[in-house]
Amino acid sequence: MLSVLICDDSLVARKQVAKCLPQDLEGSVNFAKHGAEAITAILDGQVDILLLDLNMPVLDGYGTLKQIQELELGTKTIVVSGDIQSEAKERVSALGAIDFIQKPVNSEELIASLHKHKLLDAAETPQNSELNLDELVRDCYQEVVNVAMGQAGSHLSKIMDVFVKLPIPNVSLIEVSELHMMLSDLDEADRTSGVCQGFLGDGISGEALLMVTDSSFKDVAKILRITDEVDDQLQLELLMDLASLLIGTCLSGIANQLDMHFRQGHPVVLGQHQSVQELIALNKNAWKKTLAIEVSYGLDGYDIRCDLILLFTEESMDMMNAKLAHLMDE
Amino acid sequence: MQSSNLDQSSKEALDELLEFHWMMDMIQTVDVGIVVFNRQFEIKVWNGFMEAHSGLLPSDVRDKSIFSLFPDIQLKWLEAKTRPVFDLRTRAFITWEQRPYLFKFRNYRPITSNAPYMYQNVVFSPLVSATGTVDNICMMVYDMTDAASAKKQLLSLQVKQNEMNEIASK
Repeated sequence: MLSVLICDDSLVARKQVAKCLPQDLEGSVNFAKHGAEAITAILDGQVDILLLDLNMPVLDGYGTLKQIQELELGTKTIVVSGDIQSEAKERVSALGAIDFIQKPVNSEELIASLHKHKLLDAAETPQNSELNLDELVRDCYQEVVNVAMGQAGSHLSKIMDVFVKLPIPNVSLIEVSELHMMLSDLDEADRTSGVCQGFLGDGISGEALLMVTDSSFKDVAKILRITDEVDDQLQLELLMDLASLLIGTCLSGIANQLDMHFRQGHPVVLGQHQSVQELIALNKNAWKKTLAIEVSYGLDGYDIRCDLILLFTEESMDMMNAKLAHLMDE
Repeated sequence: MQSSNLDQSSKEALDELLEFHWMMDMIQTVDVGIVVFNRQFEIKVWNGFMEAHSGLLPSDVRDKSIFSLFPDIQLKWLEAKTRPVFDLRTRAFITWEQRPYLFKFRNYRPITSNAPYMYQNVVFSPLVSATGTVDNICMMVYDMTDAASAKKQLLSLQVKQNEMNEIASK
């Protein structure tokens, strides 16, 4: 496990740097908006590698490096900056930075630097082999979800009188860092509200995550024929209604095909108007790798953007695969 | 021989009856509110939890409409909420964060807790009949008062701490 902290005041830059990290990185990627946040994160727990910007509010890159040196934190720091003056390079290396990469970062350069300083060695042990998703199995998951979505779509259009654009579900094995990235794509200028709900049955367990961008709520209200003004209270209500509908129909579609039944726990509000990073920052170290099914819903003629992510636990995979094998035999 | 066979089957019938009896007892005593109602929102089952907290006996509510007993609950709202449960057979959920309570019950611990009423989580679950249709919904009412007060306390502490931090930084 490798823990990478990206410290930059710009959201775009943070995302860009995160995307340049190796795809198969065994570990977690966290973010900080300025040096003080980075120092707190380092003191809080293990940060193996710090990717640090120089020009930031509160505490800039130089100050951060100085503190790391003074507190003897020993964090390996690579400076990622647009400041390409040679003096800047000299200053940061004097302050203990092990490398300097110029913005905008490209993937090869970053990976080369990580290799040069032997930072990826721990991560490159071949742990992937046991949990690779066979192409056939992946197809099968995709098909099951497709069918489930088809059923769910017709149900939903019946209830809401609108045409539901059926998205192609995206099935993949993901790691914590990738979930972060997947969600940070959602996290552009818009604010998001989220609901999560646990489900389990027949040895399969997981969690459904529904993220709705706040700008969608006006149209959600229209579709659910609610005429009151959309305040915070009503938004929460709409969020819960939408979650019950989308998660419920999708899960029952999957369960029907696998000839089983899922029990659903009570949904939990993850927070309103938070940035996505905040939403999932709470519990990012509890798991490593998981099967994720991502469905982005759209409705014809409405500005609604919501993403449903079904995450299954590692332990559930065997049971799921067995059930799917049964399905494929038929 | 025949008489002993008869004994056997009547004993089984008795066992079944006894089992039914304690199962009903369980529904009556479980510390979760259980209400079953049909498409007309007429109440069919009203368990001990609901009885104790509302003060209404099962005989008072049986076959009566929820809206006539609890005028605070809006027809349009509950219809919208339960429509997918009847038609799509999915569950529907209400959390206390969204609306603190559906039935205004008094707090379970009137002395040591300062919550003004019982915070509730509510689940609507479809009941599939023998013919495969959903004619009834089972509504479960959970007491969330402790969780709600804990969260509220935490939030007020956070606000207080932020204020202190602001004062300290000045």
